[in-house]
Amino acid sequence: MSSEAIPIPQTRRPGKPFYFNTSEHLLRISREKANNLPELLEALRRCPAASVFQHTFRTLQEHHFIRQGFSNDFAQWAISACNEPALAERLAGVDVREFTSLEDLRQALVSILEDYVGQKPGARAQAAHEPFYFCIADIVVLPTSFAPDTLRGFVDGLRQVSLHSIHHHFIEARLRLKLMSNDFSQWLLEEMQLPDAARAVNRIDIYTATMENVRQQIIHIVERALA
Amino acid sequence: MQPIAEKNAPQSNDGKGLSHSAPLPVGSGSRATIRDFRTPPAPAPPPHLDDYQSIIGQANLDALRFLAEDLKHKTVKMVNSTAVGGGVAEMLNRLVPLLTELEVATHWDVITGGNDFFEVTKAFHNALQGNDYQLTKHAEEIFLMYNEQNMRRMQFTEDLIVIHDPQPAALVRARKETCAHWVWRCHIDLSHPNAQVWDFLRTFVEQYDSAIFSSQSFSRQLPIFQYLFYPCIDPLSEKNKEIDEATIEAVCDEFKIDRSRPIVTQVSRFDRAKDPVGVIQAFKLAKKYADCQLVMAGGSATDDPEGVAVLQEVKNAAGDDPDIIILDLPPWCALEINALQRASTLIVQKSIKEGFGLTVTEALWKGKPTIASSVGGIPNQIINKLTGILVHSVEGCAYQIRYLLTHPEFARRLGENGREHVKENFLMTTNVKRWLLLFRILNGNRTESLP
Repeated sequence: MSSEAIPIPQTRRPGKPFYFNTSEHLLRISREKANNLPELLEALRRCPAASVFQHTFRTLQEHHFIRQGFSNDFAQWAISACNEPALAERLAGVDVREFTSLEDLRQALVSILEDYVGQKPGARAQAAHEPFYFCIADIVVLPTSFAPDTLRGFVDGLRQVSLHSIHHHFIEARLRLKLMSNDFSQWLLEEMQLPDAARAVNRIDIYTATMENVRQQIIHIVERALA
Repeated sequence: MQPIAEKNAPQSNDGKGLSHSAPLPVGSGSRATIRDFRTPPAPAPPPHLDDYQSIIGQANLDALRFLAEDLKHKTVKMVNSTAVGGGVAEMLNRLVPLLTELEVATHWDVITGGNDFFEVTKAFHNALQGNDYQLTKHAEEIFLMYNEQNMRRMQFTEDLIVIHDPQPAALVRARKETCAHWVWRCHIDLSHPNAQVWDFLRTFVEQYDSAIFSSQSFSRQLPIFQYLFYPCIDPLSEKNKEIDEATIEAVCDEFKIDRSRPIVTQVSRFDRAKDPVGVIQAFKLAKKYADCQLVMAGGSATDDPEGVAVLQEVKNAAGDDPDIIILDLPPWCALEINALQRASTLIVQKSIKEGFGLTVTEALWKGKPTIASSVGGIPNQIINKLTGILVHSVEGCAYQIRYLLTHPEFARRLGENGREHVKENFLMTTNVKRWLLLFRILNGNRTESLP
């Protein structure tokens, strides 16, 4: 059943408002550094989970304006510093939204690297054009002035919050929720009883759209539910 | 003390600035400009936080105010070695008023010293960036003596003390008499330092709570936390603010630049590290297949004999090609640089060695497709084929000029992405945010490394 089939009364109130928050981060340069693929593999095995998070989830926020061709820092380094397009493609294919655990995400990346380095011994010795520096983000979560308790207010909030806020609720949320979902979909489902809209929001492809496009798509879905 | 020294001068990417050396611009014409670029303009007052609203949006301004909320009773001292000139003073001239407006009381002190001190610190500066240097006991003593004098002269009663660059680094010896958190902000490239000078300096650096570098590749292995603060540009400065079409047109008229044909521009001091002759070689290769003009806009420091020699090399390389326009501009020509960048079809930064490369940041901010060498901090700004093009040779540069001139849609997309990249990472407001985040972290406010 599509959400258009169920008119949503404007008086419907959720059990709790949607609190728009945002997150800001400061980058810390960590000790791990890789000069070639085996070193990347080794550093990836032992680096803090926060580094895995930084170079996958967080980097998507830092590059939110890129529509095509950027997935995570490991893939970017494999192509730009190591000239290994096949490896870069495989690393770029790792979709962070399929992971609710950073250890699982780390293992997925490690497996790809182990496999590639094992199959292509020549890649082992080749020095990268520039090192990969592992970083960690120190994150501060901040409130915003938006805490809507109606769908219209929710759309208004979506329009006005920063893209960092969209990223916080839409992408990073799954690590908090430990669900294959996001804060927006959870609220639409649990508080507004809009399962189709919740599902549609969760299906937005973050790898083929800018974060601004993602925002517009979410607004479009919610407005359709409002119609 | 809060030195306010609005400089309105074009600064090169290593912070040394563009200097005027006679003669005035080759190609300077007789048609009137909006103002006379031969004399310095009156300094503009520093902008207020709300002035940035139209650029970064209300939500991002609100985030700055939220971040500052817990710091309102905290005090900060910034210390560097000069109030006027250079990238650090230029940045502090913007940063300090903005932090103050956010009610984070920020004081800016400048160390004093004799010529002998600044000769030593200049030598240290160059050695730390990889030049040969023999450290002597005498140089160490001069460095320590002036730091000691400044330490006695200054008071360190603030909650947070930020020391910029190597010159005042030894002030940290005062920390045992304070309750403050001490941070060392290093603006220079320490990736390949002279070992003697670094070994001497690191004994002081290790006494800080944390250090800040401008690029991951500029950092060192240290036992303290190291943060990454990219250098930034001010989108409201003369060099980067929006300007109207009439100003751009007038500047191009003044310098006899034909706006009906593609314009390729490099803005840099006439310095061999910026490879200006390489740019001309690339342009000449590209021009065989793509009609365009080359603008080389910069200055050669009057106190730098090499700069004058390099300018002559550039003129020799250009020969009598009427499509190569060499502009030797005075240091206050920020508005003219702004107009030249905005008039350009493509921007090139073909450096052999580079600091962070703020001229690249300026070009990206103006939405210009940019071709640059993969050196220094440039790869932080240009993600190859996404926010610009990275090249490694004259031939590569020439090919990419041709390619972008003949693929305007791709070039436009690079420019758009580049501008967004700057907006997200390299603007003054992002710099303010990083300082607030750091102050909060040092202040013990709760932070996480995972969501």
